[in-house]
Amino acid sequence: MPSRPLLLKRLLALPPTLRRSFWSSSSTNTTTTPPSPSQPELYDIVCVGGGPAGLSFLAALHSHPATRSLKTALIDTQDLTTSRSANDANDAYSNRCSSLTPASLRFLKDIGAWEHVDRRRVQPYHAMDVWDGVSGSRMHFDPMDREGGAGGLLGSLAEMLPGSRFQASRRKYETAGMEEEAGVVATMCENMNLTAALLQRLKELQKEGTGVKMLDKTKVDSIQLGSAPASDTAPDLSQWPVVTTPTGDRLAARVLIGADGANSPVRTFANIPAHGWDYNQHGVVATLTLAPPSTPTPFHTAYQRFLPTGPIALLPLPNNQASLVWSTTPHHAQTLKTLSPTNFTAAITAAFHLLPTDLTHLLTHPNLSYPSELTWRLPATPAKTTNLPANFPTITHLQENTRAAFPLRYRHASTYTSPHLALLGDAAHTIHPLAGQGLNLGLADARALAHVLADGVQHGMDIGTEGCLDSYSAERWGRNNAVLGAVDKLQKVYSVGSGPVVWGRSLGVEVFERLGGLKGLVMGAAGGGSGGR
Amino acid sequence: MASTCPTTSRLLQLPAAVRRVALCQTLTPTVLRASPIATSFGRDSPATTITNTQGRRDYATAQANPPPTRPQTPSSSSVNETEVSHFSALASSWWDPHGSSRLLHLMNPLRHDFIRTCLAREAREPGEKLRYLDIGCGGGIFAESAARMRNSAGVVAVDPTPEVIAVAKQHARQDPTLMEPGNLQYINTAIENLDQHLPDAAARQFDIVTLFEVIEHIQHPAPFLRNCLDSLKPGGWLIGSTIARHPVSWFTTKFMAEDVLGLVPRGTHDWNQYIQPHELRDWARQQPELSTSDGPGWQMQGVIYVPGLGWKQVDGSETIGNYFFGVKKRGLASN
Repeated sequence: MPSRPLLLKRLLALPPTLRRSFWSSSSTNTTTTPPSPSQPELYDIVCVGGGPAGLSFLAALHSHPATRSLKTALIDTQDLTTSRSANDANDAYSNRCSSLTPASLRFLKDIGAWEHVDRRRVQPYHAMDVWDGVSGSRMHFDPMDREGGAGGLLGSLAEMLPGSRFQASRRKYETAGMEEEAGVVATMCENMNLTAALLQRLKELQKEGTGVKMLDKTKVDSIQLGSAPASDTAPDLSQWPVVTTPTGDRLAARVLIGADGANSPVRTFANIPAHGWDYNQHGVVATLTLAPPSTPTPFHTAYQRFLPTGPIALLPLPNNQASLVWSTTPHHAQTLKTLSPTNFTAAITAAFHLLPTDLTHLLTHPNLSYPSELTWRLPATPAKTTNLPANFPTITHLQENTRAAFPLRYRHASTYTSPHLALLGDAAHTIHPLAGQGLNLGLADARALAHVLADGVQHGMDIGTEGCLDSYSAERWGRNNAVLGAVDKLQKVYSVGSGPVVWGRSLGVEVFERLGGLKGLVMGAAGGGSGGR
Repeated sequence: MASTCPTTSRLLQLPAAVRRVALCQTLTPTVLRASPIATSFGRDSPATTITNTQGRRDYATAQANPPPTRPQTPSSSSVNETEVSHFSALASSWWDPHGSSRLLHLMNPLRHDFIRTCLAREAREPGEKLRYLDIGCGGGIFAESAARMRNSAGVVAVDPTPEVIAVAKQHARQDPTLMEPGNLQYINTAIENLDQHLPDAAARQFDIVTLFEVIEHIQHPAPFLRNCLDSLKPGGWLIGSTIARHPVSWFTTKFMAEDVLGLVPRGTHDWNQYIQPHELRDWARQQPELSTSDGPGWQMQGVIYVPGLGWKQVDGSETIGNYFFGVKKRGLASN
């Protein structure tokens, strides 16, 4: 074959993608089987699940010079093309909100997604009031704690939080003086707003020619390992996961990303166990309207009260709206979902203002008129006795169709990786929302995995191998486990209604109050939001 | 071929304590400062004199102008049969990330970092593609990774041990990118016989020739290195890694790694064949086509394996343990 070197040379001049397709078609031609639909298409990355974790991972990958040109695909059951206009009615807010830590925000800025977020619909908050519904112990967090040089301990605890580079970022604040972020505890953002921004970023990257192949409105039919090679010289894909879609598309993945939520089919395929338990609590979420504050202020506060049935949090949204995350017993959650809107609004007021016994009484008698109950119960319960923060807002009404409830769980996958596979976000861990960390952990995972893959590519690794992927698991598992564990302990400690644990924890909260550090954890923690997806 | 190294085998028969004394004696300053020829040929036996004569000429006389082409006899070989059989026994575990090659897997990213350091000062076109020749490729740990690099215009990887080449070819199938034509070619040969496999002289010219953990397995490094240079394009880099002959490296790579911890299979290394960085540099200085000025022409980096942390670059450690070296062939026009 005298023409062969020439042919080869010409082939090598082609861009890699073309070359690959030429090569795969020519190699199938030489074997006995003609190119058939059963031949899977090769991808470097196939991401199952287009939630914030999966999307931010892909955006991070395509924003990095080393991994920009990887061939990637995204599979999601939902329609990812819908614009956000459906949700643009200005005063209506989704009940699925998350509080983004400054580290998450920085990551979103780094990957060019934050500029696509509708800024009118996000709300930074600058302080946080957390108090115990039984003992009344209370702590107030505001940025003064951070600036007050509680340094060492705060830093070391904050190390455990997602976006771990807390200290470094603090220094960055101080030197770069990013006014916009100064003094912000966290930023409330609707998950939908974030998802839309990430999709827009991916579209932008697609225009630059480094895009993701979008397979939306697509279910994963099956995941299997590739078949044994047909001949001794054919590539061996027997370790590569192959995803089949209902239309018969077959995608072979060098790395299959499971960003497919708590019941991750990818995790099931990899046979990675996820240990944990159910909290026997449901999270009730809703969007609420607040009375405008008497003196308008640019500073916003988040509130969280620990009740024996679970914590209730009120997190600020723009235009005097707020996001509610109320963790409570499944029974109470059911009651709350069926209450009339006026009773529901009053029940929330009761949950923040009244003693736990009063609240239980109300919720076991859903037929009472809560507003009239409140008219006499509120004056009988002075704020002093419950330690209600002085500036606590008045909740006026419930935004229609925003009530929802979901069971709360603790789950943690025993590892995040296996050969040619990695788990991200809720597929790897499910956390109690009292932390509001679900989404932040997912974003931290996405950042770490993208970083590990970029490093692998720069060093010529096969990014599907354990040698490359294991460092992702090593970097994230321990940190996530620390956050999951701390939040789980907080949940358990505050679920006790009386006795020594309560005395102990009021002492504990008083100690918190004196140690800026542990507050840092709770601060990063309480933040509400319904997590990733 | 144990008989070819009578000194070594006799040494190894001694009790450990005596052996250590003997080793320390060989490390007297005179030996340390002796030219590489003295150390590398002192242990020669008549059985392997074919390349020797040439090597001795190249080395010992340090001619300003060695003959541009040396006649190559097919039988001439840098290959030690004992080494071949040792590595063929290891072949099957080469790609087990927790197997006997674990330390090599862990070291591989540092190799690319070092190559980057060497190329950092070059005024190369952005996006310029480089041809790699990996000599002593083993199971292909470096060769595969080089073939995946964006700056690779193709990798040729050679090893004299048939079993490891078979393992390497087999393993490369797990990554379809590597099987694209021209990306990665394995050849079962000793470097001096490369022309029999790549008859086209242009195909034997490479921008980067690598010798990772190889020269400590070569009995006669001088002629071997000369052969390697022949494959280097003007302006290209000869890059490698090896271990310095120092009591510390004997303790770490022989005693601890092989005997005590079992990190590396017993008999992997022959401490007496380790090469000092200054010996390498002295050799390089004697090669007129090599540029050996610090930085643009000569690079060195010591690395230390810290259990639990992995390989770490430690400046100055090149004299006591593992180190990388890089030396540049002079360009056609400049230096």
